[in-house]
Amino acid sequence: MQKLIKILLFFFFTFSISAQEKHTISGTVYDKRGNETLIGATIYFSDLNVGTTTNEYGFYSITILEGTHNVSVSYLGFSEENRIIELNNKTSLDFYLSEASQTLDEVLIKTDIEKINIKSTQMSTNTLTSKSIKQIPVVLGESDIIKSIILLPGVTSAGEGASGFNVRGGSADQNLILLDEAIVFNSSHVFGFFSVFNPDVIKDVKLFKGGIPSKYGGRLSSVLDIYQKEGNNKDFKLTGGIGLISSRILAEGPLKKEKSSFLIGGRSSYAHLFLPLIDNNNEAYFYDLNTKVNYRVNKKNNVFLSAYFGKDVFGINNSFINKYGNAVTNLRWNHLFSDKLFSNLSLIYSDYFYGLILDFVGFEWDSGITNINFKYDFNHFLKDDLKLSYGVNNIYTKFNAGEIFPNREDSGIIPFKLTEKYANEFAIYLESDHDISDKFSLKYGFRFSNFSRLGQDKLNTYENDNPLIYNQQLQKYEPATPNGVLSYERSDILKSFNNFEPRLSFSYLLNFDTSFKASYNRMAQYLHLLSNTSSPTPLDIWVPSGTFIKPQILDQYAVGYFKRIKDGDFSLETELFYKDVKNRIDYINGANLVANNEIETVILNGKSRAYGLEFMLKKNEGKLRGWLAYTLSKSEQLTSGRNSSEPGINNGNWYNTPYDKTHDLSINTSYELSTRWKFNSNFLLQTGQPTNYPVGQYEFQGLNVPIYNDNLRNTDRLPTYHRLDLSATLTPTKNNYKDIQAEWVFGIYNIYNRKNAASIAFSRNTETSTNEAIKTSIFGIVPSITYNFKF
Amino acid sequence: MKNIILLISLFIFFSCEEVIEIEVPSSEPKLIIDAIFEVYHNQTPVTANTVVKLRESTNYYDEEIPVITNVATVLLKDLTNDIDIIFEDNNSDGNFVPVNPFIPIENVDYELNVFYNEDLYQSQSKLVTTTEFSDVYQGNNTLFTGEEVEVNVSFIDDINVENYYLFDFSNNLFVPIEDRFFNGSTYNFSFFYQQDEIELPTDVIIKMSGVTKEYLTYFNVLISQSGQQAGGPFETIPSSLLGNIINTTNNENFPLGYFHISETDTYNLSLVELD
Repeated sequence: MQKLIKILLFFFFTFSISAQEKHTISGTVYDKRGNETLIGATIYFSDLNVGTTTNEYGFYSITILEGTHNVSVSYLGFSEENRIIELNNKTSLDFYLSEASQTLDEVLIKTDIEKINIKSTQMSTNTLTSKSIKQIPVVLGESDIIKSIILLPGVTSAGEGASGFNVRGGSADQNLILLDEAIVFNSSHVFGFFSVFNPDVIKDVKLFKGGIPSKYGGRLSSVLDIYQKEGNNKDFKLTGGIGLISSRILAEGPLKKEKSSFLIGGRSSYAHLFLPLIDNNNEAYFYDLNTKVNYRVNKKNNVFLSAYFGKDVFGINNSFINKYGNAVTNLRWNHLFSDKLFSNLSLIYSDYFYGLILDFVGFEWDSGITNINFKYDFNHFLKDDLKLSYGVNNIYTKFNAGEIFPNREDSGIIPFKLTEKYANEFAIYLESDHDISDKFSLKYGFRFSNFSRLGQDKLNTYENDNPLIYNQQLQKYEPATPNGVLSYERSDILKSFNNFEPRLSFSYLLNFDTSFKASYNRMAQYLHLLSNTSSPTPLDIWVPSGTFIKPQILDQYAVGYFKRIKDGDFSLETELFYKDVKNRIDYINGANLVANNEIETVILNGKSRAYGLEFMLKKNEGKLRGWLAYTLSKSEQLTSGRNSSEPGINNGNWYNTPYDKTHDLSINTSYELSTRWKFNSNFLLQTGQPTNYPVGQYEFQGLNVPIYNDNLRNTDRLPTYHRLDLSATLTPTKNNYKDIQAEWVFGIYNIYNRKNAASIAFSRNTETSTNEAIKTSIFGIVPSITYNFKF
Repeated sequence: MKNIILLISLFIFFSCEEVIEIEVPSSEPKLIIDAIFEVYHNQTPVTANTVVKLRESTNYYDEEIPVITNVATVLLKDLTNDIDIIFEDNNSDGNFVPVNPFIPIENVDYELNVFYNEDLYQSQSKLVTTTEFSDVYQGNNTLFTGEEVEVNVSFIDDINVENYYLFDFSNNLFVPIEDRFFNGSTYNFSFFYQQDEIELPTDVIIKMSGVTKEYLTYFNVLISQSGQQAGGPFETIPSSLLGNIINTTNNENFPLGYFHISETDTYNLSLVELD
């Protein structure tokens, strides 16, 4: 590894001809109020026309010519800081930015930020701050990161009651969701209505839809990188909000002034507290607890310990109780080896559990996924035009596929445990961000990943290694019965996969306002969420690749055109993408995935692809701001038979994935009427989700059964989805208590009460003895009020 | 720090189901063979339901289900002794009964032959045994709404065999179960009639049939697609449901329906209003 770096460094140095002395200037950019580090803040040297941005820990480093320079440091929502510096030798310089006051003259987007973005090789990315997330109107007034990113181009969801989100035609299990570098498996509460992320605790959210940096791996379609705040290390602060469904409170403050801070935030729903009052025995609640402690040992060392706990409980009358949740703990150490080499070491433990009690059949079901993750990442700011990122990452995972046992004495259930599975994923990456010339920047790198499926107690064997049989006579696929069971030690490796994942992107500056970018990335995904329903259900299980399941491999190509209009008043981004995925699983007809210990007997291997055009126009200036995002895309899959005598699925022809949405339009606007009143609106218009209509009916054993056409899978559509949300934020200027900042948010979700179809079911009306189509919609018009405060 | 709490609940939640008009495509009619035989082994004398119902599929919103009468021929072959059992449709209602009533017996392969429209349809089945009810009674628990009627069922499962059961609670309410999680033990479970599924007081016949694994898989999909629990975002992608009957003349034109013989235990229960 060392040698490889030395060779690369030598190679790069031969390209540099330095006539004048250069020095490195580095440091951290903070929020003055509480010393919160700022991610992605811009440091720009106007006289040199070069700049850089801070990394995930607020650190920047740049090597420039010695002499006198104008430097401006800026960040969304903060006042720009301008300085003149004398650079004669290696300098360490921190910046403290002040939040821009809430005045009409406030300029939120800085010229320099946009200039850097135009030039950067990073494309297919959207960044959201906690502030902007809180202003987007949402159902029941609960600010939500996931609901906010759905308004961006290329991102959709399966519907109002569905959990997860889909990026560029990818499925919900293809998104890597990271909270302070830890993987989160289930990102929603209450079956998809709310996300697990408390907006008060979040500092920065970045969504990569393509051009994914080499640092990330393990999921095909996107990376949602979420960073929590550290906590104000100067003063004790309290922030919170009271809403109709849940309330939140965040306490932060110094443990040792300017050196160490803590953060503890909680959010909980309370509708269930009122249920006993109306004689209702049910329970439905969720809570999140985010905690963090940060200790800045010295200028070169910073240590963080964070933990997140979240849980959902949904119970009906004690006969049906469902509990699930995430617990994540994370220890990180930032270390500056030099002013050019920043490192972060993370040690993460995560546990996702899912439990179900069905009293009327007498059983309890537990399942989960646990992992330990070790990461070591380096940012090496070699020269002014060359930055390297490299590191290693190892994840050891245990999959508890499910355990069933009796929940009461008189239950006839016999305890049964599905085979536990184990796997280890190791990766090493190296990427170089290289400004080749004034106009041309190139990022090239790779990620090399190895996935080892480890030994387990029982591994089924099948005749001819064939777990799935095609019955020619009956023309259907049938599970094969295992002919034996083998036992392995944990140290045995059942199957090992190696993947070389190149990542490439470049940007070409057409002029200082316009750029053209292109990227290619290959991603490997070793974990699969088994789900054969139109959207993920709580009972879906994650399984690792192995003897019978191959890793999914993706190639994504994207090109984009970026333009700043009228000196940054407007900006335009448009991208074209194409994705090709190998080894996409689909299921045979009638496959029952619940508690299935022989998954290999019901799956077929296929492929999928998605392509489309994304368009985003933003207005960044003035009283009226916002964006218009439009995506035209197609997402489809193909599952052919394993040989010419089998039909596969849909007769081996391409069919729409369950989340294919041809048109997706969102318009988000905000209007600042005065210092007291601010208005926001969302308008969404999307093609209806694919569905299947019956083509006939028949009667069997007294049941009326619809007939479907196997060769027209997912060709029908639900009605077009559209809705308009409005919200108004009132910030009273006269506060009785000087130190309290407060605001009221009034919202109306779906103001014209459109009953958008979440699903359409076909069934028989027993009273009239006729067949009907029944549309289920989740939310009609929903008003809400939320009160937010800050001490 | 002062705590200011002002909670005004304007909580109006509109979530609903409504019937809508949706045009659906039509398709060529298909032959439906409903040949589910039940041998009521707990009755004295032992009786059996050996009706073969021939129907035709039709367009989704049509009100009438077409029946296929004596234009078809139905014949059951006993494969051990090659004896043919002839069926006929006496009332021209599409229900074929054996000319000479018989009781299917264990360990005999029966082959169903239906000749219709110049095609010969065939299937094979063997009697699947079952255990018996240990106890069936009306309970007073409820599930979600508090208005349900509970029936508790218990039985002893045979540990030596992989058992699959289909419970019929009358009014077209079925519960398929496999013994995977209670093999060999005394198992009990509760079934709940929803308020709109039953009118008290009433008498119901509860049946427990031994079925094959394939029929259970078939029936599971049947229930999920037939409206008992249809719809919602958790529905699996629906597909045509192929049974175990093939068209030996023309493979492409497959029939729907199933041929299955099960041993069935019955229990008559009177359900009353409880407080």
